[in-house]
Amino acid sequence: MKKFLSSNRASLITLLALILLPFIVGLMDGESPMAVLANESGNAKFAQGLAIEIFILALYALSFDLIFGITGMLSFGHSMFFGVGAYLTGISLKTLGLSLPATLGLVFIAAIVQAILFGLVLPRVKGITFALVTLGMGSVFHIVVMSSELGPYTGADVGLQGVIAPAFISPANERIRFYFIALTILILVYLLYKRFVDSPTGRVCIAIRENEGRARMLGYNTFYFKLAALTLSSLTAALAGFMHTLYQPIVSPNVASMGFTVTALLIILIGGVGTLNGALVGAVVYRLLDFGLRRYIGESASFISGAVYVLFVLFIPFGIVGTWRAKSFQINQGWQRLRKLFG
Amino acid sequence: MTTEFILETQNIRKQFGGLVAVDNVSIKVRKNSLHAIIGPNGAGKTTFFNLLSGNLEPTSGKVIYKGQDITHQPVHRTIHFGIGRSFQITNIFPNLTVFENIRLASQALGSDNFKFWQASSRFKKYEERTWNVIERVGLKERAQTFARTLPHGDQRKLELGMILAPDPEVLLLDEPTAGMASEQVPELIALIQGIQKEGNKTVMLVEHNMNVVMSVSDAITVMHQGMVLAEGTPAEIAANKEVQTAYLGGLYELNV
Amino acid sequence: MNTFLRKNTVLLITLAVITALFIAAAQGMEKKDFVITLLRGLAVGSITFLVASGFSLIFGLLDVLNLAHGTLFMIGAYIGWTVFVRPDTFVDLLTPLALILSGFALADVYPFLATRIRLGLSMKRILPWALILVSVLIFSFILPRYPISIWDVENYGQSPVTYSFMADSGTRLPAPVAVFTEIAAPLALIGLVLASMIGAFGLSLFNSETQQQFKLTWKNFAAFAILLIVALLTFIFNESLTAVLTGLSSNWLFLIAVVVATLSGAGLGALIESTLIRPLYIRPIYQLMLTLGMSAIGIEIVRSVWGRPEFVMPKPAFFNGTGGVCPATNFADWWANNCSTILLLDGRVRVYNEIFIPIIGVIVLISIWMLLQRTRLGMVIRAGVQDREMVEALGINVRRVFTMVFGLGVGLAALGGILAAPSMGLSNAMGESLFLNALIALAIGGLTNYPGAALGSVLVGLIQQFIIKYGQIGIAIPFTDIIFKPTPPLVPASTVLLMVIILLILPNGLLGKKE
Repeated sequence: MKKFLSSNRASLITLLALILLPFIVGLMDGESPMAVLANESGNAKFAQGLAIEIFILALYALSFDLIFGITGMLSFGHSMFFGVGAYLTGISLKTLGLSLPATLGLVFIAAIVQAILFGLVLPRVKGITFALVTLGMGSVFHIVVMSSELGPYTGADVGLQGVIAPAFISPANERIRFYFIALTILILVYLLYKRFVDSPTGRVCIAIRENEGRARMLGYNTFYFKLAALTLSSLTAALAGFMHTLYQPIVSPNVASMGFTVTALLIILIGGVGTLNGALVGAVVYRLLDFGLRRYIGESASFISGAVYVLFVLFIPFGIVGTWRAKSFQINQGWQRLRKLFG
Repeated sequence: MTTEFILETQNIRKQFGGLVAVDNVSIKVRKNSLHAIIGPNGAGKTTFFNLLSGNLEPTSGKVIYKGQDITHQPVHRTIHFGIGRSFQITNIFPNLTVFENIRLASQALGSDNFKFWQASSRFKKYEERTWNVIERVGLKERAQTFARTLPHGDQRKLELGMILAPDPEVLLLDEPTAGMASEQVPELIALIQGIQKEGNKTVMLVEHNMNVVMSVSDAITVMHQGMVLAEGTPAEIAANKEVQTAYLGGLYELNV
Repeated sequence: MNTFLRKNTVLLITLAVITALFIAAAQGMEKKDFVITLLRGLAVGSITFLVASGFSLIFGLLDVLNLAHGTLFMIGAYIGWTVFVRPDTFVDLLTPLALILSGFALADVYPFLATRIRLGLSMKRILPWALILVSVLIFSFILPRYPISIWDVENYGQSPVTYSFMADSGTRLPAPVAVFTEIAAPLALIGLVLASMIGAFGLSLFNSETQQQFKLTWKNFAAFAILLIVALLTFIFNESLTAVLTGLSSNWLFLIAVVVATLSGAGLGALIESTLIRPLYIRPIYQLMLTLGMSAIGIEIVRSVWGRPEFVMPKPAFFNGTGGVCPATNFADWWANNCSTILLLDGRVRVYNEIFIPIIGVIVLISIWMLLQRTRLGMVIRAGVQDREMVEALGINVRRVFTMVFGLGVGLAALGGILAAPSMGLSNAMGESLFLNALIALAIGGLTNYPGAALGSVLVGLIQQFIIKYGQIGIAIPFTDIIFKPTPPLVPASTVLLMVIILLILPNGLLGKKE
């Protein structure tokens, strides 16, 4: 127990901070914790909202990191994974009038189906061609969502409006509950991913990223491992889309566009490609940066985030977490050398 | 020595466009033997290995393993039959540790590859196997270093370890000593010989170093321009006039 | 003959299928519609080809997927528009641009200078950053105060939209002349040169690992001197140059716009390759991400400089005649009157959009083909696409060839941009949609295959235009009375679907080499 505590100190502190976050922001603003629990509007509620958006983005970035950072498949159609979840949730709740669990089930089934759809092209195309084919699939989905024929269902280019989340997790009235549910889901998915990467399956995925030919020679039918990674990724992204629809009053067709795939790429690049923590850190940095820039600079904020992105590519290619790890390894080594010198 | 043949090819042929790289090669490899394939550069040795291991599909002909036709099996099945293969150019996972490289190789044939809900350290049998192999190839000190930072000789050992880990019956080694410093070669050859004798394994070897080939192999096949030029024991090959002209005709020197 | 058939089975089957489809398509529409649609398809195909061919040259030789290619296409269009509609802005920009570049023209001198400076280790680390900081400070002081006569995005009366509208109706909106008020002219000019030199020196210190002995000759200063002279001349004769350009007929001005846009595209490409792409050849995926980021930045720059609203670019007078005799009935008639449209098989064909652009497309196709087949550079490029290491081993300066090819590719895209501007209009999204077209065309034709790029582009253009046409007139589904009208979203969707299908059957495209 003690060992567990000491080896996971940073994670546990972060967790504690996240649990206390709404109350701390509330206290700073002169709100009592009870008021925060009662969802009174104020800075605490606003901070929760921002945090929820970050959690959703983090889920989405994690799912992209799994196929790009861990398994090494560059997919340019990842926003489709998110978009399917988001739109299906909206249609199911609004048009079909299904219950929340039924909606979630529907979303998961769709996620598995689309992972298999992407998987179908896997054995045929590799590398750049895979990127192009997924780009094609993603843009077809974007076009379908935007088309005016499906307007009654998807809202065409305006976006899907008027989806009402069930009252008990209504983001307006029960935001603190929504906050904790989102946090719990993120933690669970993160733990699942950590376990996946550490499991025999995840190890093979990493091997595929490193040298797919060799992995095949070792006797792995790499197709199934890639499909597994795709399926898990698709499920997670669809879950993120599901929560996005519940939280946002409007689902913009932008979430199905190429730009949203770039967002995922940007997040894991900021955080560190191939590191799960990086996806989380990246989501926080990205969302706060975006929020701050939009507030103080306005429309041309995406210029700055584009510049940040380019600077990261050029100067910090391993992202925040990746660079931190590399440095801390050096620091650690330096320490050990010192200790050897004296001991 | 038993007289059973474990691996054989029947008139195997591979054509790249107009170029015939391997031309109607039929050879038989005895079980538990060390069978070397020699020949000048461009003789089609590596292509022949690629046909055996399934990396390439032959234009015509068959590969028979233990009486079973494995010609058109995908490359990832090869090891499941019991054929492990190393590459002339070092082919490892550069950004993983030595331990992880070999653990991946040990795990491949097990039935736990899709247990994504369990940490890989829970599967003690693979770890044990990994440690055994690491010790066998002499990389215990370097188990936790990244493969890309290993010196070349150690990378060759690691590659050998990756084939050993799934415990195959046949080892196809494509120039295992390629690029190694000459003083390291005997060590690696002794290792290969040891593995073959102890484990009752069949080793097929492509090698350029003639002294090595002559001293260790039970049988030798000489390839030349995609075809089999001669076959026999080291003594027979050394005495073979045709082989001598092929080599001494400026293509290769016998005493490297 | 037999081997030819066997080798090209796939291609022949595809061509047969396409021909059959076109014959089928022709059945459903009138002859004039068919001709117009065919020409429009070829026009879209030509523009697509200009983008696609540059992209494929770059990818083939450098292995860089330049995802910013569409954005650069768009930037080419906007630059051309500026020259065509606001020559005064263009002239005003020449002086500061030449001055900013002048420092970088001294690139050969800096290593020499660096060897003369002896500094402590910590100073050596700080020096480049300090120099760059100084340079950025000077630039940020001078540039906002440098007078450039420009439009105003915020003010509708002075916005690009209004200027285009007026130019289209034949009058030029009087543009305010920019004069030095906040800063003395000599100070600004000298400051720019100094800042540029300091900045370039700072940048050059980052890669000064090779400490060779240099001998300085006048040649190292030639480019610098020329740039300075250009800057001075354009500064002194600013007003008369503007007057000359505004006085030119719109045909000549358009020609100048095309040349300037193409050249600045090529220069921009060379600059991007040598500064941003070059450090990343060891990390290909990061190159991909970099170009993606550049694409986003480029769009934002265009938005902030030229504004978000779409506007049209007027056609040069040569293609814009109207009046009594128009539309022309035959080419001689058209030549005499320069009508904007011409009657072909009773259909009104717009000369610029549907005849001029395809002709340019064919000219570019042939000239690049000649460049690849007949010149030394072309040979190096072709050899490099086949086997890059081999070319490097031959001792050819691959770096320079890379920069040139990147410049060439981007230049082609910019040319496409300015040519497309009068027919497509200018918008922030024009790059994106065309780039998707080009990608699809390349994926269909084979990523690094030059004829494949042409084939794919024409296919994409034709399919899209035919679907658009059928969207207007409807298509009768056989044996039923239903008339199906494909809707606009089907236009991109159809080509994307075609691409996915072709890639699934032939992962290397129609003409791509088999592995």
